[in-house]
Amino acid sequence: MALNVASLFQQSYKEAQGKIVLQVLLFLAGFPVHLVIYFIYLVRKKDQTRDTELNNIRSELSEKQCIAQWHSEYVDQLVRKRNFLQENTSDKEINKVAEKLADERVEKEIARRTEEYFTQKGIRKETYLVYFHTLLERPQFLLVTLLPGVLMYAILLLTSNPFLTYIAERLIQSVLVIIGVAILVFTILYISPFDPASNILGESATQEQITAFNQLHGLDLSYWQQLWNAIKGIATFDLGSSFAGNEDVATSIANKFPVTLTIALFSVIMAVVIAIPVGILSATRPNSFLDYSFMFIALIGLSIPNFWQGLIFILNFSIKLNWLPATYSPSNHLSMIMPVVVLGTALTASIARMMRSSLLEIIHEDYIITARAKGLSKGQMLWKHAVGNAMIPVITVIGLLFGGMLGGAAVTEKVFNIRGIGSYIVDKQFIPDIPAIMGGVVYIAITISLVNLLIDILYAFLDPRIRSKINQS
Amino acid sequence: MKDSTNNRHALVISKEYPQANFTWILSVVLAGIFLWNSFPTNTKELNPFVFSLFCAYMVTAVFQLFITLKMKKDLLSTGEIHAGTRRLGYVQLASLLTGNIFAATFAFNLINKRKTPEYTFAVYMLLTQLAVIAISSVNLFKPYVSDTFLIAMASLLLITLFHLVALILSVRYVREYSAPRWMSVLAIFLMATAVTGNLFALLLGWSLFMKARRFDSSRLLKWNVMWEKITRNSTAVLGMFFILLMLAISITSRFTFDYALAVENNYGAILQTPSLEYPFGTDNFGRDVFSRIVFGARISLLVGFAATIVPGLIGGFLGAIAGYYSNRIDNWIMRLLDILYSIPGILLAIAIIAAFGANTVNLIIALSVGAIPTYARTMRANVLMVSNYDFVDSAKALGASDFSILFKQVVPNSLAPMIVKSTLTIGGAVIATSSLSYLGLGVEPHIPEWGNILKVGSTYLESNSYLAIFPGLAIILLVLSFNFLGDGLRDALDPKLD
Repeated sequence: MALNVASLFQQSYKEAQGKIVLQVLLFLAGFPVHLVIYFIYLVRKKDQTRDTELNNIRSELSEKQCIAQWHSEYVDQLVRKRNFLQENTSDKEINKVAEKLADERVEKEIARRTEEYFTQKGIRKETYLVYFHTLLERPQFLLVTLLPGVLMYAILLLTSNPFLTYIAERLIQSVLVIIGVAILVFTILYISPFDPASNILGESATQEQITAFNQLHGLDLSYWQQLWNAIKGIATFDLGSSFAGNEDVATSIANKFPVTLTIALFSVIMAVVIAIPVGILSATRPNSFLDYSFMFIALIGLSIPNFWQGLIFILNFSIKLNWLPATYSPSNHLSMIMPVVVLGTALTASIARMMRSSLLEIIHEDYIITARAKGLSKGQMLWKHAVGNAMIPVITVIGLLFGGMLGGAAVTEKVFNIRGIGSYIVDKQFIPDIPAIMGGVVYIAITISLVNLLIDILYAFLDPRIRSKINQS
Repeated sequence: MKDSTNNRHALVISKEYPQANFTWILSVVLAGIFLWNSFPTNTKELNPFVFSLFCAYMVTAVFQLFITLKMKKDLLSTGEIHAGTRRLGYVQLASLLTGNIFAATFAFNLINKRKTPEYTFAVYMLLTQLAVIAISSVNLFKPYVSDTFLIAMASLLLITLFHLVALILSVRYVREYSAPRWMSVLAIFLMATAVTGNLFALLLGWSLFMKARRFDSSRLLKWNVMWEKITRNSTAVLGMFFILLMLAISITSRFTFDYALAVENNYGAILQTPSLEYPFGTDNFGRDVFSRIVFGARISLLVGFAATIVPGLIGGFLGAIAGYYSNRIDNWIMRLLDILYSIPGILLAIAIIAAFGANTVNLIIALSVGAIPTYARTMRANVLMVSNYDFVDSAKALGASDFSILFKQVVPNSLAPMIVKSTLTIGGAVIATSSLSYLGLGVEPHIPEWGNILKVGSTYLESNSYLAIFPGLAIILLVLSFNFLGDGLRDALDPKLD
């Protein structure tokens, strides 16, 4: 068992060669271990054979006139090239290029010959990396260095399994993207020509009042300090208090976020329940009346602005027919129907169109024809072989559109008077209330990243094509 | 037996038959909408104007159904549409008087058996011109018109006559790959009339010019095939028609509409219901909603196109570089764009507008920034594909520099998906513009813009709902047109479907 683990570490350590970023990371993570081992290595190193052999080969090459011969070969080639292309290069330049090429070839030749020589003699190139590599083979070494090198071993363990590597890479990518988002949004708000202090305190504010306000909210600090505070605030869920009203931003966001998320989730469920059957029906009867009507309606659904649809719904169902309440209240479940439908319309339309085109593409694949040829009925073929495969791009699209929906929720929330995160950001933007806008936008971006991360990871497990791709890389 | 399957096939591949079906169904739907609206809910009286519209559309629909059935019979029995059936198209042309553009385009399509792209261009050019005149002549019922109204209308009428002549001439003389030489003069005049915004005239003129000057036949073939594919899709052409109509209206409205009616307060006529003088009523400041919507088209088109071209250029450039050069550059550019991509477009726009204030220029910038990654991704994918083609290797072997290969060989050959993508996203930009204006974050409130008009309308939803309905319909029609055109372009330009 211990041997297995050891060989696993050794294997992934070997694979890390050639990947510079990973090597640096491994070195940093295992710094205490490397420090001690390097010292031991220096003490033990007495191997001088390599350098002498290198010098031998070099002098051998120059004795044989190899270098001069190569040089003249290159000059000859270059002159012919010049004549053919009719370029205006001087002999001096050609000489210089030929010299460079010859030098390169000498270096390569020397490296090749030494390698040959050593493999013939059965001696390995003794460097620190190789030395460390041989040490990793021994279970005792592992036990001794486990505690100081725990970080390094964790990285090695991650890189030993392609799945774990993939998930770790995606996680790191998401974190970097989120930090990028925070920096971007903060910078946009920082270079804004508006002054929150005078906007809130009014025209008549004295200089002292403005200074006090700026000091209270940390606006007098340098750009980098403010940026650091903002990122730290996002990571620790402590964004300070908003400029106007002096409320805690993190608490307000925490109160408003679930409202938006609930409505968005119900919209997604509605969209999937309606759009997937519609897409399948359309794709199985292409160019029929049903197909044309569904796709026409879907295109109209894509073209309706949310706020207009909301207004028309209110006009018809609340004012004229009096069936549903015009504004949202959390206690009344009926009031949720209209916002959910309005928010989900565009999503439903996109999913239905995507499902149709994806399924149509799959139905014309060779393996579907094979399935039909071996005698499966149309239904069996559809449900066992086609729909599952067609769903893969559709789910990716749902993940991507979910983000757009959270962003677009601001408009729907304003129409139905919902106190969600979107209308919160819109209300705060007039000041502009930097912590509130920043927090709202970044937390929405985090949610979207998490959803997409989840979908990607799910695929890594479910889709055999992605699985084999990961294993190969 | 074999004959009947052949004829069934003729029914399937016939270009006119699906359009005939589409036309009568749509006419019935429109008639239904008119019927529904001819009985207002608050007063139980019949609205005679709307009801007569219903009757007209219903008659058109019934006649259209008759033509469709006759076409089906013709196709099934002989495999082609009889000349007698085609002549019925002349009768159906009368539907133009009721403004039923679907029936009118179908009638034009039916009349002429041999359809060159020029015929389609000429028909739509004429229809656009007629529609512009019809919309502008609504001003006749106003108490006063703008100073340039009469001159502008007269020149529009003259141009329409000229277009009619061009239509007749091109039906008579233009063949598939050639046209008489004297037509190049006509072509130049046609292209000149495109300054009214009627770009169909430009297309027709250019097409005639190519044929009259006997351009290289492979080029003509390409042109013909491309337009045939696009025009086969009747919804795509209708989309293009509506977009170009909006463009023509935004240009000619400068001379035929009075801007004062759209922006200046008139407290004598507050919240009027729709009438001949004010076709879409007036708002809470007495401004004419119809004029406001007409002037709003300008802003929507301007912002829509600008917010597509700017990110298209920037994103296309970044994507081309990422796709063509080394992995390292690719990684850097795409990872940085991932940051932009992970913020929803509207939210990013809100943040940018929060920082720099709400006006049209900032709106365009805000919408553009969020759209850059999408275009970069599209361009990168295409460049990756195209740079593996043989002609790129040939260019390399000839000693062309990387930069010139990229921008002279690779990019022009990967533009088609970019054009499709941008057509489909202009619609999104139009919606985003009006959404942000509705939130008070877009165009300045005093400028007539569709979102601004709707914002006013939403406060009078209960009493004057028409204030909110008409601008919304305008937005939907424009966005729908862009989507239809985009879908049609994709079907026509996608090499996968060949």
